[in-house]
Amino acid sequence: MRTLKLIHVRQLVIIALLAVLVFLTLVPILFMLVSSLKSNAQILGNFWGLPAPARWGNYGEAFHSIWRYIVNTIVYAVVGSVLVMALSSVSGYLFAKKTFPGKDFLFMLMLAMMMVPGILTLIPSYVLYENMGLTNTPWAIIIACAAGGQIFGTFLCRTFMAGLPSELFEAARIDGATERRVFLQVVIPLSVPILATLFIMQSVGVYNDYIWPLLTIRDSNLQVIAVGLTIFTKQFGITDLGTRFAAYTIASLPLLAIFSFGMKYYIQGMTQGALKL
Amino acid sequence: MRKIAWLAMALLFLPGIFPGVASAQEGWSIESGADMTSISAAPDGSRIAIGSRDAKALVYEADGGLAFEAPAGNVVNAVELLTDGSLLLASDDRRLYAYDRDGNPLWATDLKRQVKSMSASDDGTWIAAVVQRNDELLFIDGRTGEQVGSVPISATMRTVKVSENGQWAAVGSSDQYAHLLNRDGIVGKIGAKGQIQAIDVSAEGYTAIGTKLNEVELFNPQGQPVHIAKTRDHVTDVAFSADGRTIGVSDLSGYFYIFDADGKKLWESKAGGNGRAVAFDPEGKTLYGGTNDGRILSFDVGSVVAKSKSEAKMRTILWGAAVLAALALIAFLLGWMKRRNKLGIFREIWRSKWIYVGLAPSFILIFTFLYFPAFSGLFHSLYEWQPGGRTTFIGLDNFKRMLNDPFVTKGLGNLVILVVTGLIKTLIPPLIVAELIYHLRSKRLQYGFRTAFTASMVIPGVAGLLIWQNFYDPNLGLFNNFLKLIGLGSWAHGWLGDPDTALWALIFIGFPFVGILQLLVFYAGLLSISEEMIESAKIDGATLPRIIRSIHLPLLAGQFKFLIILGLIGIIQDFNGILIVTGGGPMDSTYVPALQMYYAATKFNELGYASALGVSMFAIILVITVINLKFIKTEDH
Repeated sequence: MRTLKLIHVRQLVIIALLAVLVFLTLVPILFMLVSSLKSNAQILGNFWGLPAPARWGNYGEAFHSIWRYIVNTIVYAVVGSVLVMALSSVSGYLFAKKTFPGKDFLFMLMLAMMMVPGILTLIPSYVLYENMGLTNTPWAIIIACAAGGQIFGTFLCRTFMAGLPSELFEAARIDGATERRVFLQVVIPLSVPILATLFIMQSVGVYNDYIWPLLTIRDSNLQVIAVGLTIFTKQFGITDLGTRFAAYTIASLPLLAIFSFGMKYYIQGMTQGALKL
Repeated sequence: MRKIAWLAMALLFLPGIFPGVASAQEGWSIESGADMTSISAAPDGSRIAIGSRDAKALVYEADGGLAFEAPAGNVVNAVELLTDGSLLLASDDRRLYAYDRDGNPLWATDLKRQVKSMSASDDGTWIAAVVQRNDELLFIDGRTGEQVGSVPISATMRTVKVSENGQWAAVGSSDQYAHLLNRDGIVGKIGAKGQIQAIDVSAEGYTAIGTKLNEVELFNPQGQPVHIAKTRDHVTDVAFSADGRTIGVSDLSGYFYIFDADGKKLWESKAGGNGRAVAFDPEGKTLYGGTNDGRILSFDVGSVVAKSKSEAKMRTILWGAAVLAALALIAFLLGWMKRRNKLGIFREIWRSKWIYVGLAPSFILIFTFLYFPAFSGLFHSLYEWQPGGRTTFIGLDNFKRMLNDPFVTKGLGNLVILVVTGLIKTLIPPLIVAELIYHLRSKRLQYGFRTAFTASMVIPGVAGLLIWQNFYDPNLGLFNNFLKLIGLGSWAHGWLGDPDTALWALIFIGFPFVGILQLLVFYAGLLSISEEMIESAKIDGATLPRIIRSIHLPLLAGQFKFLIILGLIGIIQDFNGILIVTGGGPMDSTYVPALQMYYAATKFNELGYASALGVSMFAIILVITVINLKFIKTEDH
């Protein structure tokens, strides 16, 4: 009986500790949500109190200022991620299931690029995009996403597709399916989980990227949300804190949406990438 | 085999055949004291003449001695020496003068308006003049000075040049158009990109136009642009050499240049003052340059031109040799493969052609947008890099400068602090949380807590940083309000505004530092430890701390190593947070090398220096990765 009690106490202690840690981790989110409904006067006068009355108008104002950035970013993220999926699935399949001269060498060329840190290529890439006239166009973001993301993507797809049963493809081929049909109608449907993982990881990556768009996009109408939020913050300063927090909340919604559908895939991608490196 | 050895030998000896470095020497210079407007070299190379603002023209022997002085009534705008030794000069006193080789006046013609430009063929049979506010280009008879004809062009003509052989003439107007003429009239109209400052036309009808855009534009006889050469300042004069292969140029900053017909810069020299005029001697070996402070400089540029010619010749020879060598190598390889019966590889490659087509988009992107910038960064770290302008090789100067850059040294110190604290942050809290979750009995609670920790991902990274920035606000921030709440209001502080606390405030961002990736990696590692091992340890009487120390930690060594490497690489490269929250300040208290790289590139446009910083950080990361790989190997054995 006593050990049972001891175990109970221990479990309660663990739960309490974890609860405190979760609370501390989520303090920024809670603070953001509460403050987004306050006016400046409410924040100054009643810092710890709940918003009374709640100022929902903050959200309207914030949305009006940042919707453009969010739409831009979502478009870039979707186009870039789809490109990454297309490139990675083709390369991954070829590297996984085909033999051809120079295969190992080409795969090494790809792998070697994973060893090159972004800090080395950041400035020369900027000069390259500038010389090609790609800066200040959506392509600066989309191409950078496609070129960089496909390396990791090919890697994931190759591992995943190597695990698909080759007999299946053989059967389809014997039935007279062309190579293209085998790829589009057998390989791709079987690879949906890995492609979903890729899509979610790339989209979240583009959505959170800050330095590259800051370097390459000058036109405010083309800017992404990460840079847009800093512009917005400078614009509003400390005159309208509530609206600022409302903007952060709105900017979190697309991530909330993608995570609530695809958290499982995201975590898979993260841990798989971790284990493979 | 012997053939290849011979080729290799030939390649080795080739560079020795040709002379090494040749550079232009400054011959002599004359202090004429005159503010110069124009310069002309005699077709036989024996004399040069200059026109000046002091209402006179001066004629010098090729060795620098003064031959004679020819007066005019106002600023002399153009001078021209002819084959018979006579001198033509055009002046703002509305007259055109001719003097014989001893300085005796031959004739003077009143053109009624200021003569802004004049040029003549070497034999003096074709003389063209531009006068103010007249839309006609005037032609003059060289023997009598009488006007013999005219061609209507435009009222804004500024400058005219007649080719030495008298086949072509080119007129530049201030509306950015130039006209090309032969003796029958206008043959072409050329649109320049910038305001025309100077013009010249070669014996073959090629036109060079110097503009205010700091460019010399080259056009072929059909009037199509062929090349553009860049200068440092507004072009003031251009001159073709007699063979039309090289172009001399002067600019407003006192630089003199020689370009070849492809627009490639062969040579440049700074003389000081404003460069005003240039002329080649007939053999193209001496370039005469005039400045506004009255110096006439003679540059012995024969060696430069010769060198470029020999270089071009050598390049053709080298290319030829390289092509031959490549062909020989391919032939040899094919022969070898045939002997070994390996020619089948080509059949295989051909059979796999669609595979290569499928891989092509990926690899085109990889080479263009990943490999190219990486090598470009390595390469340009040794240069003063100005895209579109001059890029000069400066060796290791960028790296030396780094050692003396206070922002970099300060940044390195900060980086060490960030690395140490960063590693503690990425390892300890996630490990503790992973252990806590692992020891929960209820699967449901385990899942619930894991999800709760990952929930913090829904905030965009930048928004998270901005919220933390707000936490540190002296008046409205969470921290100072919290201190007041618990009665420690006197500790309230401008956390980010104080150089002593700013770095620590940055480090504290993200408290309690439960990284999701780290948490999941540790948790997965704990789950993979077999139950039996733990059970048997428990039966042996091991307590929980003992189990953690002796079983969990050793078995998580792989996860530790992976997270340490990932953390190191991430921390060295990361400057997102610093850029957004403090921007490196106050003063230099929160600089890191990566931030200095970003500023060098964006604020100061020092791209070479930024590349060198990037390369250095890459080197450090590479060393870490290599050490890590070595570790893995020793562990496997």
